[in-house]
Amino acid sequence: MGKNEKKGNVFTNNPLVRAIGTQKIVVVLVIILLALLFSIMSPSFRKYATVVSIFDYSYYISFMAIGVTFALITGGVDLSIGTGMIASGLVGGYLITHQGMPVIVGMLASIVLGLLFGLFNALLIAVLDLPPFIGTLGTMMVARGLGSILTGGMSITWPAASVPQGWFRSIFKLTIGNVKFPLGFIIVILVVIIMSTFLNRSRPGRYIIAIGSNKEATRLSGINVVKWQSLAYIISGLFTGIAGIAYAATFQAVAPGTGAGLELDAIAGAIIGGTSMTGGYGTIAGTLLGVFVMSLLKTGLPFIGLQANWQQIITGLVLIIAVLIDVLKNSKRA
Amino acid sequence: MGEVILTMNGIDKSFPGVHALDHVNLEVRKGEVHALMGENGAGKSTLMKVLTGIYTKDEGTITYEGKEVEFANPREAQAAGIVIVHQELNMLNHLTVAQNIFIGREMMSGKLINDKKMNEEAKKLFHKLNIDIDPTEKMGKLTVGKQQMCEIAKAISHDAKVIIFDEPSAALTEAEIDELFKIIRDLREKQLGIVYISHRMDEIKVITDRVTVMRDGGYVGTLITEDSTKDDIINMMVGRVIYEEPKTKSNVAPDAPVILKVENLNAGKMVQDVSFELHKGEILGFSGLMGAGRTETARALFGADPKESGDIYVNGKKVDIKNPMDAVKHGIGYLSEDRKQFGIVVQKSVAENSTMASLDNYMNGIFINKKKEAEVAKKYVESLSTKTPSVDQLVVNLSGGNQQKVVIAKWLVRDCDILIFDEPTRGIDVGAKSEIYHLMNELVAEGKSIIMISSEMSEILRMSDRIVVMCEGKKTGEMSISEATQENIMHAATLRN
Amino acid sequence: MKKKVISALLCAAMIGTMVIGCGSKGDSSASDKGGDDSSSKAKEDLSIEIVSKGFQHQYWQAVLKGSTQKADELGVKINFVGPNSESDIADQVQMLQSAINAQPDAIALAALDTEACMDAISQAQSSNIPIVGFDSGVPGAPEGAIVANASTDNYNAGELAAEEGYKAALKDRIAKASGPVRIGVMAQDATSESIINRGLGFIDKIAELCDADGKTVSIEGNDKYVSDAKVEKTDGADVIIDVAVPAQVTSELSSLDCQTLLNKKDTIAIYGSNQHSGEAMVTGNENLNKFGSGDDQVIGIAFDSGEVIKNAVKTGEFIGAITQAPVKMGETVVDLCVKAAKGEDVSDVDTGCQWFTADNMDDEEIAQNLYD
Repeated sequence: MGKNEKKGNVFTNNPLVRAIGTQKIVVVLVIILLALLFSIMSPSFRKYATVVSIFDYSYYISFMAIGVTFALITGGVDLSIGTGMIASGLVGGYLITHQGMPVIVGMLASIVLGLLFGLFNALLIAVLDLPPFIGTLGTMMVARGLGSILTGGMSITWPAASVPQGWFRSIFKLTIGNVKFPLGFIIVILVVIIMSTFLNRSRPGRYIIAIGSNKEATRLSGINVVKWQSLAYIISGLFTGIAGIAYAATFQAVAPGTGAGLELDAIAGAIIGGTSMTGGYGTIAGTLLGVFVMSLLKTGLPFIGLQANWQQIITGLVLIIAVLIDVLKNSKRA
Repeated sequence: MGEVILTMNGIDKSFPGVHALDHVNLEVRKGEVHALMGENGAGKSTLMKVLTGIYTKDEGTITYEGKEVEFANPREAQAAGIVIVHQELNMLNHLTVAQNIFIGREMMSGKLINDKKMNEEAKKLFHKLNIDIDPTEKMGKLTVGKQQMCEIAKAISHDAKVIIFDEPSAALTEAEIDELFKIIRDLREKQLGIVYISHRMDEIKVITDRVTVMRDGGYVGTLITEDSTKDDIINMMVGRVIYEEPKTKSNVAPDAPVILKVENLNAGKMVQDVSFELHKGEILGFSGLMGAGRTETARALFGADPKESGDIYVNGKKVDIKNPMDAVKHGIGYLSEDRKQFGIVVQKSVAENSTMASLDNYMNGIFINKKKEAEVAKKYVESLSTKTPSVDQLVVNLSGGNQQKVVIAKWLVRDCDILIFDEPTRGIDVGAKSEIYHLMNELVAEGKSIIMISSEMSEILRMSDRIVVMCEGKKTGEMSISEATQENIMHAATLRN
Repeated sequence: MKKKVISALLCAAMIGTMVIGCGSKGDSSASDKGGDDSSSKAKEDLSIEIVSKGFQHQYWQAVLKGSTQKADELGVKINFVGPNSESDIADQVQMLQSAINAQPDAIALAALDTEACMDAISQAQSSNIPIVGFDSGVPGAPEGAIVANASTDNYNAGELAAEEGYKAALKDRIAKASGPVRIGVMAQDATSESIINRGLGFIDKIAELCDADGKTVSIEGNDKYVSDAKVEKTDGADVIIDVAVPAQVTSELSSLDCQTLLNKKDTIAIYGSNQHSGEAMVTGNENLNKFGSGDDQVIGIAFDSGEVIKNAVKTGEFIGAITQAPVKMGETVVDLCVKAAKGEDVSDVDTGCQWFTADNMDDEEIAQNLYD
């Protein structure tokens, strides 16, 4: 029997490649390739300010994607992160600008609302056994309406960077003199390290993977699947709230009724990064890489003068190709 | 056999509308292998679920190590030393072997999981059991047999005192079964109590010390294996004698025409240069070990998987089969190994499944002619004596044997002359098995031709007129039933070039 | 099973709290759609349904304020509704349908998409309910379907932005330029008539002014604007007008559009034709810091207010912006509806717009139309 095992090729047998995973290597290569391509085609893309912008626009997607990776690994999905993020941003900002509360309270409120969405999803999916697609689709709509209602339908403007209350924006972008430093990237990297360790080295993380691999087997191993499946959605919710803050820090103004569709960017990032839609496999680092592919495309394509609708087509094709590579790779293995 | 370690006495359990267990008894001693037998639905699994706390019993007592116990969940049972090796492998394919073995009780260093230590412990465990598996390998990459070994290792690592094997051999090759038995004997040596659930009569005789038989949720009796015959046990299970002896000579006329001819079929590593002929009215057995390429050959022939080269002739005419639709057009039907995944649509009715492959004949314009569909379904329910309350019953509610009959009906409705049966009796109990055999014999008597892929030696020897043996993707033997013996089949099945 | 029941209850409780949580705040929120406030004393005969484009921008809050004031003054009952976002065309159609079903004496409508509303409009006509357009109105509606409009003449407003911007800085910059220069126009979409007219008004006026000063003008970018503007696409023009429209209305895509424009070396000015575009200009400029009135900086011109834009004008990031008169618009629309319901003759009213800069934005006359 042992003789039947596939030998693989030189590339997949390289110990470094095996340690990091082929998918991730491919994604890193794609990132380098895109960056080179855009730099060659557009001089202004090479500027430091552009790099900072790419980072700016990647934070909120990164956080959403890190969170949703957990839901994806359990074999589910969380569609509520886009509108949930906007609702969190709206409520936090509302408390700050309309109720005169300190910024930190607004930020906490954003996180708490995100957690509530996560908890709600957890109840629907882990406890009441609703299919994740349906459950979170419902929450997505609830979040969309709720954000508008809680803020009276008004768009909310978080404090500007120039006022003292705007300190929260420095968490993501520190300005020293004239130099803008993308501090948020370091935070994202830290979060990736923490969440990777959590996923791969902690018991809850292990059980979340186990549930995605085979929920029934996990249950029969005496593991509380309801609890750990819930946790995956609560983590997704937590990051929804954090993403709300990141969104506000980047765009300042948060408009109710928006956000639907952004979850798909985050999910696409996770998938490009190698997370399996059927569950059981995914890495946080891979997700971050996937998000960067999306961010690079979004930022880079306008620089090379492509019309808006072409940007969407290319982003869609990249997503399909990324997943196709994975599917082909897997079918060969089988 | 040592002292009694586990006694289940007068266990009674009802579900709404079903009396699942009717005062069942079971006694397991240290150092014995105790077979638990019964047809599907006899209540074996339910009894084990009551034991391990998945169900709560309505009545009766469970005494374990001299104390009355009632476990709230499998975890408690595990902690007390009672573990199940499940029939459906409960594997987490994405995790490593060691991570699977220690799931739920990971070794920690501080707050973090210590995978290194778990790998070492797993290695020690495998060493003790004489199993050669790399603990860092992903579970999904192992063969079914190896996965089973891991499951056993996992059970043993729980410091188990009683291990329940739920149909462990269903997916194993003969060689793997030998290995399994070695391990079980070893465990018996170590004074563990072992409950062994299986359908395979041969195995029961080989490995077990006592047999407890259940029928329709009730307790029938307990025998000492050595003192009883297969027929005794089967009688207790079904209440009638049905054991059939191996066939000794072919029932096919020597001048029967060749209905299917396959020449130099190639499809990947698992099908290399396979050639064979199928005569009218013949049952051609395909024997070999798990992974020998028999299913792959059938799938390539049927057009389910792409083939690289090779010619197929039906009734002497060369045909081009690119996909299952082509195969069906030429009268070839395929009854897959995994019924639930490929053979039937369990959430549809018997009638709908019966006409699935030949809907074109049951249309009224753009609508399905429900009446005609029901008529033909009823006809085959009767001729195959499928046990179903009506043709509107959802297939999911039928037993394995009756589901298999629905699949057969589907291809008969399509009027296929060549039927490929891939493991036709896997997971089917003894009584239903016998019916399927009977049915196959009837089909060939009517002039149909059958290719039967089977991993059960007794089935091959009982049913085939001729036997093709495969090993690692190549045909390694072909013999008529009169010259076939277990030995020469096994010899061919292990011929590695 | 028990667990499931408990969690189902928890779910219900959670939804409940959410709803109650909102309800308690409802009096200040648009969810009440304002008009209900006056219902207690509204024993009067006239009821008016107002279907707006939503409450996403504070602009609409100001419209609501104006109409509520006027309704109280005239003693009529109004019901002010609007979809969640300006892309929810279907939601708005449904709201319009419900408004007609309520059999009011008049309906005020700011259509997101005229085509989508056509069925409902003809139904209102056959029920003899007069429709008054407001804000962008109901462009392209059949003759006689809309009795009058209370709106900003968006084309005029766009022209005003061009005139004032040209006077303040553009004329000078174009004259001094050594090569061709680029003026960016950022539009949220190419479907809403009001947005399109603001863009076209700006483009056409710039072209007219440049032409008067002897400069040639060309246009590129979004096809809709390129084909509808009076400017032709030519090579070697002195001034290039570059219209950017995002594929999707998200802050990210719009601010990327702004960055792309700012990164082009020949860009001397960017005009954002609504609050969304204006805010995206601020975000897009954040890392580049190019807006301002200096010679090597890019001139920013915005439309509408809101805190972000007000702040940008105040700090000199933008040289100025156009504000409409939403309060007046709210008042006017109610007034027109009442007259129409009573069968009086009504005609279009331009509710006007103003150019505001750091210098005049605190003047009472302008400040009342600026909102956060």
